[in-house]
Amino acid sequence: MAAAADTSRPQNTRAIMTFLREHAPFSSMDDSHLALFAEHATLQFHADGDVVLAPEDGPVQRFYVVKQGRIRGERESGRDGKTETTFEISQGECFPLAALIGERPTRTLHRAAGDTFSLSIGHKDFVTLLSASDPFRDFCLRGVSSLLDQVNQRIQSGAMASIGSSNSLDTPLERYALRNPIVCTPDLPVRKAVARMHENSVGSIIITDDQRHPTGIFTLRDLRTMVAEEKASLDTPVSQVMTPDPCCLNARQDAFQAAMLMAEYHFAHICVVDEEGELIGVVSERDLFSLQRVDLVHLARTIGTAPHLRTLVSLRTQVSRLVDSMLAHGADSGQVVKIITTLNDVTVRRVLELNIKKNDPGIPFTWLTFGSEGRQEQTLLTDQDNGILFRSPDGMTPDQVRERLLPFAETVNKELAECGFTLCKGNIMASNPKLCLSEHEWDDWFIRFIDASTPQNLVYSSIFLDMRAVFGPMEPLHALLERVLGRIRKNALFQKMLAGNALQRKPPLTMFRNFRYAPDGEKHTLDLKRQGLAPFVETVRVFALANGVEAANTLERMDELARKGIFDAKDANAWKEAYSLIQAIRMRAHQEMLERDEPLSNYINPDDLNPLDRRILRESFRQAQRIQQKLELAYQL
Amino acid sequence: MLEQIKDWIHRRLSGATALHDFDNLPKPATAASQPLATTRLIVLDLETTGLNPAKDEVIAIGAVAIDAMKIPFDDQFDLILRRPELDISETVLIHGIGNEALTRGHETEDALLHLLEWMDGDPVFAFHAAFDQKFLEKTLKQTLGYSQSHLWLDVADILPAFFPNAETGGTRLDNWSDYFGLEVSERHHAAADALATAELMLICLNKALKSGVNTLSELNDKLRYYRRLKTIQRL
Repeated sequence: MAAAADTSRPQNTRAIMTFLREHAPFSSMDDSHLALFAEHATLQFHADGDVVLAPEDGPVQRFYVVKQGRIRGERESGRDGKTETTFEISQGECFPLAALIGERPTRTLHRAAGDTFSLSIGHKDFVTLLSASDPFRDFCLRGVSSLLDQVNQRIQSGAMASIGSSNSLDTPLERYALRNPIVCTPDLPVRKAVARMHENSVGSIIITDDQRHPTGIFTLRDLRTMVAEEKASLDTPVSQVMTPDPCCLNARQDAFQAAMLMAEYHFAHICVVDEEGELIGVVSERDLFSLQRVDLVHLARTIGTAPHLRTLVSLRTQVSRLVDSMLAHGADSGQVVKIITTLNDVTVRRVLELNIKKNDPGIPFTWLTFGSEGRQEQTLLTDQDNGILFRSPDGMTPDQVRERLLPFAETVNKELAECGFTLCKGNIMASNPKLCLSEHEWDDWFIRFIDASTPQNLVYSSIFLDMRAVFGPMEPLHALLERVLGRIRKNALFQKMLAGNALQRKPPLTMFRNFRYAPDGEKHTLDLKRQGLAPFVETVRVFALANGVEAANTLERMDELARKGIFDAKDANAWKEAYSLIQAIRMRAHQEMLERDEPLSNYINPDDLNPLDRRILRESFRQAQRIQQKLELAYQL
Repeated sequence: MLEQIKDWIHRRLSGATALHDFDNLPKPATAASQPLATTRLIVLDLETTGLNPAKDEVIAIGAVAIDAMKIPFDDQFDLILRRPELDISETVLIHGIGNEALTRGHETEDALLHLLEWMDGDPVFAFHAAFDQKFLEKTLKQTLGYSQSHLWLDVADILPAFFPNAETGGTRLDNWSDYFGLEVSERHHAAADALATAELMLICLNKALKSGVNTLSELNDKLRYYRRLKTIQRL
């Protein structure tokens, strides 16, 4: 049968195969397996509200695909006996996988939401397909997570085309640091320590105490400085020239965290320790990146030491290339936005350092970033949102300090713009006298901000309540934040208004679970940032501020809220995943726009997505609706 | 059913005479107390050379079964008849069956016998059933001398009987398919039209059971009542 021309199959069989081919996992299955499905399938109608599968029906006998309409999963929620929708299955999606494979009854009531047609095959045919088709087996046994894998694979393979080899940054460090580290005691003379490094041809030696806890690290770079600057003789005990308290990570942490630390602090080596803090290995930048050619650490260092503004400007193109390669190497969207933010931070710091070198205002200050940069959620499309926090030196009024700081800030803002950080249209920049303030002034500013809660202030909440310091002393900001959080926690009205504001942006789904297009963009487009990400960011912010979570990053806030028991752990995971997937789709769109030399935009046409991405996007938006419902409930809006 | 067709094709090709039992063809059922929820029903659609049963001929038969409120795709009928002598020039544009396909089609006599066996005497549903009934009965009589009457029910009547307020904008199969948002894979293909009609029947059967119409005779009564109502309204 398989070898025969397609016209040999009955028309209706062919039609079902055509339908199946449009949906995962069937889209990756062989025609002969699709034919097997189609020839043994049964078509059923379920009117709106009909029960399709129920726990009391006994072990599930059939595998279903929604041909038209929707199926809703219902669970009774505890005390009030109300039913809660736990999932929705729409056209082309399958159910009930877990129960069918577990040969048990379903735990969730499946009910038709709207008039629905389903295709189904019996248990025997299901098993036949399962053993015959690899994509089908992979899908069924790994459920929806294999769908997510498919999305990630596609994101990666897109970026991969231009790069090559792959090695996931999710790999735990123990896999990199298996070999025995070269160690010595603190009293060993440098000469002998270097000899030991030479024998083992390594670039670093770890100094440990009696319990094998790392107390310091000595590298070839340290040796070079020591010799060049004639600081000490080669007979000095190594403890006097080592870098004390080396950076340590637990063996179970992943390569990504190591890379981020290296990029941020310009370390070339990181000690890997076990639960007891005992040294088990060392990873070097080369270990992490030799196979990958992902030059994050190198790039960060080049930016961090760039001698001129024009060098910085020229390095920015490499950031985009790096993002491409990070995606290719399996970094998830959360990792990539953090990398972009890290590199942006390094750039901002370098611009500030270069300016201080040229023209020191002579007053210590903390450089603040707000909004997406404050949340560490920047993508390639980014503009400046920054400000200055200072302590007025004795004998100077804040206005006098501003006189010195503002011209400096103006140059920095201008130079950052040259580096690709668009000037903020709303003038939320350090060169704005209203945002270059002393500690007391910021305090007053926030008191007014919180007490007044004007509509305009609420709009600004997404900027000023996501705040972070990137340069200068951190302590003043920490103290400021603590006071601000305390005030918000005590101000129920402000919280409620924030919550009401967060609910203004609805996820772009209609009542019938179709996409609701953006009102302001081109026809049939969605705004992934305003319609997709904002509902998560804003809702999570309200919960975070109300519960004293200091982190500004949305994913970290969700983690912290789950730890505090404010979010159910499963919910938090689903929301993090949904948020990350929207972000991933947005970033891939940005990379594609860059390739086509188009200006970056957050609008996409969902029709341009493949059915799998469309489905996942829809499910992600539904999760956004759920998190908003939680907020509505919490503040009774 | 595909296996059966293959068997049957094989028998034809190997030259053996058809092994149909002329004297023991299945007896057509009558409208009695068969429960709709468990009975097998036939939904059928024909493509013909024209609209006049007196002079036009059947060229394709598509049918699906509804068994216990479900459409099993391993129980369907999808055949083009071999009738190269027919003039299809008038309708070829509608159903897309050209001379070549008709020449490759199946021997009429054998196909019809096979159809009768497959139908197994079960009640037949069609959209504007009178048309299909006339053509099929004529063809059965001419070709096989078969003159037993199956129970025919018109889906075009059943639909408005259960959905009297539906604003379909017309009474054709297309109107009802659009109304319920059905996708017809290939319009004017006998099997695809039969499937669309059967999907509409599934919707009707679901509604029937919910409104206390549980057996074939109750369905028949409901139709008769509906037709009488319409006649009264027209008077």
